[in-house]
Amino acid sequence: MKILVGVKRVVDYAVKVRVGADGVNLKNVKMSLNPFCEIAVEEAVKLKENKAANVSEVVALSVGPKQCQETLRTALAMGCDRGIHISTDLRTDYMELQSDAVAKLFQKVIEEKEKDIHLVLVGKQAIDSDCGQVGPALAGYMSWPQCTFASKVDLDGDGLLVERETDSGTETIKVPKLPAVVTCDLRLNTPRYATLPNIMKAKKKKVDTYKAEEFGVDLEVKNKVLEVYEPPSRKEGILVDDVDTLIDKLRNEASVIQ
Amino acid sequence: SFLDSLRSNADLAHVQINQNKYDLDSHGRGEGHHPCAPPSAILVPTSAHDVSQILSMCNKHKVPIIPFGAGTSVEGHVSALNKESISLDMKKFKKVDLPIDGILEDACIEVGAGVTRHELNDHLRHTGMKFMVDPGADASIGGMVACGASGTTAVKYGTMRENILGLECVLPDGTIAKCGTKALKSSAGYDLTSLMTGSEGTLGVITKVTVKLHPIPGHVIAAICEFDSLHEAAEAVATMRMCSIPVERCELLDESSMDAFRRYAASSGDGKFELGAENKPTLFLEFTGSSEAAVREQVTLTESICDDFGGSNFEFKADESERKTLWKARHNLYYASLALRKGATDAVLTDACVPLSKFADIITATVKDVKDFNLVGPCFGHAGDGNFHCILPIVEGDDDDYIAKIHKVNDNLIRRTIDVGGTCTGEHGIGYGKLKYLDSQYGEGGIKFMKELKKGIDPNNIMNPGKVVII
Repeated sequence: MKILVGVKRVVDYAVKVRVGADGVNLKNVKMSLNPFCEIAVEEAVKLKENKAANVSEVVALSVGPKQCQETLRTALAMGCDRGIHISTDLRTDYMELQSDAVAKLFQKVIEEKEKDIHLVLVGKQAIDSDCGQVGPALAGYMSWPQCTFASKVDLDGDGLLVERETDSGTETIKVPKLPAVVTCDLRLNTPRYATLPNIMKAKKKKVDTYKAEEFGVDLEVKNKVLEVYEPPSRKEGILVDDVDTLIDKLRNEASVIQ
Repeated sequence: SFLDSLRSNADLAHVQINQNKYDLDSHGRGEGHHPCAPPSAILVPTSAHDVSQILSMCNKHKVPIIPFGAGTSVEGHVSALNKESISLDMKKFKKVDLPIDGILEDACIEVGAGVTRHELNDHLRHTGMKFMVDPGADASIGGMVACGASGTTAVKYGTMRENILGLECVLPDGTIAKCGTKALKSSAGYDLTSLMTGSEGTLGVITKVTVKLHPIPGHVIAAICEFDSLHEAAEAVATMRMCSIPVERCELLDESSMDAFRRYAASSGDGKFELGAENKPTLFLEFTGSSEAAVREQVTLTESICDDFGGSNFEFKADESERKTLWKARHNLYYASLALRKGATDAVLTDACVPLSKFADIITATVKDVKDFNLVGPCFGHAGDGNFHCILPIVEGDDDDYIAKIHKVNDNLIRRTIDVGGTCTGEHGIGYGKLKYLDSQYGEGGIKFMKELKKGIDPNNIMNPGKVVII
């Protein structure tokens, strides 16, 4: 089985995001591997370590600026075998490059560069755009089955048995045959820390770079972003000294209790 | 008033002044049994410069001030024994000096004193390095330095003292002092970094710390082994040290702790360890190495040593999630112990450290005291360091007799400890509860030395007065 894992470089989840004139400020801001992509990488590496899965290779794919190579190195340090970097200076946080184009780029990679992919693992969504569309769009373009929000993935004959988390409970979905696309949710696994020896080994693993324009995919935005703004700041609260004062204010000022 | 002078200082306009009653309460207690003693106000500085100005003003007006980190101390460190004390909350000091490309050149990093150890390791998660000191709480780095903290990994990596290279602190007169360097060794002048370690906020306010990092171990195996007695377990540990096994963690739990441990593991739904039918003293071990073979060798040798001392049910786990569960249960032993007495929300937490040769005797004697006095008091410890804790849960409504017995257990323990050349606190610190033991531990000369230092640095006694050293 050959696995393709999508890894997106996004603003680190712990960073307090600021909005400037051209949208979210990305200058000198700490960037990391998207947490859901990290979970996808972990799942791919776990499958590789599972003899029954018979995984020949795990390839990590990232679309973005040259710093995506660092993101790919993290994925390689966790255990992926090779990396593919599709290079573009378009902003990947929804402002310029959007999900449809990314899904098409993934499709081109699968059809032209890595012809025998059996399983695509991606995060359920990126934490900058929150779209969650690349996985399903790719499945649509490839005419492959898709399982989104996977919280458990097991091998099942020629296919997979996937548990899918929804707001009303967990579904168990049978994918009778591969290839397929699975998007990974929070509870699927706990990503491993890369050890220093693996980080050093990762420096020697192969990363191929292609320009996004090479693939003949329309990279234009489909949805134009009109404005980006921070939510209005909360009106400053006051500190009260005791519960009685609190109740008084809730009753007489905010009028939310009788 | 003093607060009015603070408010009228334009330079400090951005410093929050909080007098909310509930916040004052939470800043007047740690996680020990000492009664809450709230400060009169909480200040939240954002820079060393802020701290310097605040301390100068406190020094001028002779207002006591207590640095506050995560509030997880257990010896009453932050209790405001003087009601007019100011609490200096270091929570804004969160800077982690990680390069933008995430690549660390040296195995060290500079962090703000308010960064907690879990926060730090989260920042470091893709660097392959880790900050190893792991006390039970998610304490702030500054607080860990001030307390001289350590955890289960001390047996291999040392305590806080051995894991910092330098720090920046502010003295009571407002002087900002740089201590230590980024070099791994230094003989340049007085070891100020070590002086501040364990000073519990009585000499100055720590604002930045350069901590040492270690590579995340590549191969790890956790193991447990039951013994018929604490003595045999302790002897097994001593033998392991003699064979130079570089054990990463070495914890010994008595029968009562194993009871607490099992209940916790059962209730939390994870934890599948094949322990024997009854609770027996148990060693929890962890081995790391650069290859699977290296780790297996350590495990094999340890198994045969444990066998020599009557160990049974030796079991080891390489799987990461199973290992994590094991150590999670051990780290939560404080809460698991409280749960042994229904309704307990507080406990007396003892802490003593003796030379290794005396470890088995000391822990056995304490277990006997607990039994003789008919108390609930699980005992467990860092067997590789000779340091153990007895947790004596207190339920509201316990009669004076029960409480007196609890304190007697602690008193006996510390007396025996000092008699064999040990220390009344291995890692929790003195606060104000253990002041009375310092005389017998150090004698007149040692105490005088500490007093001279304190008088020289803090002549107005504004820095956390009433703790550690009384002048």
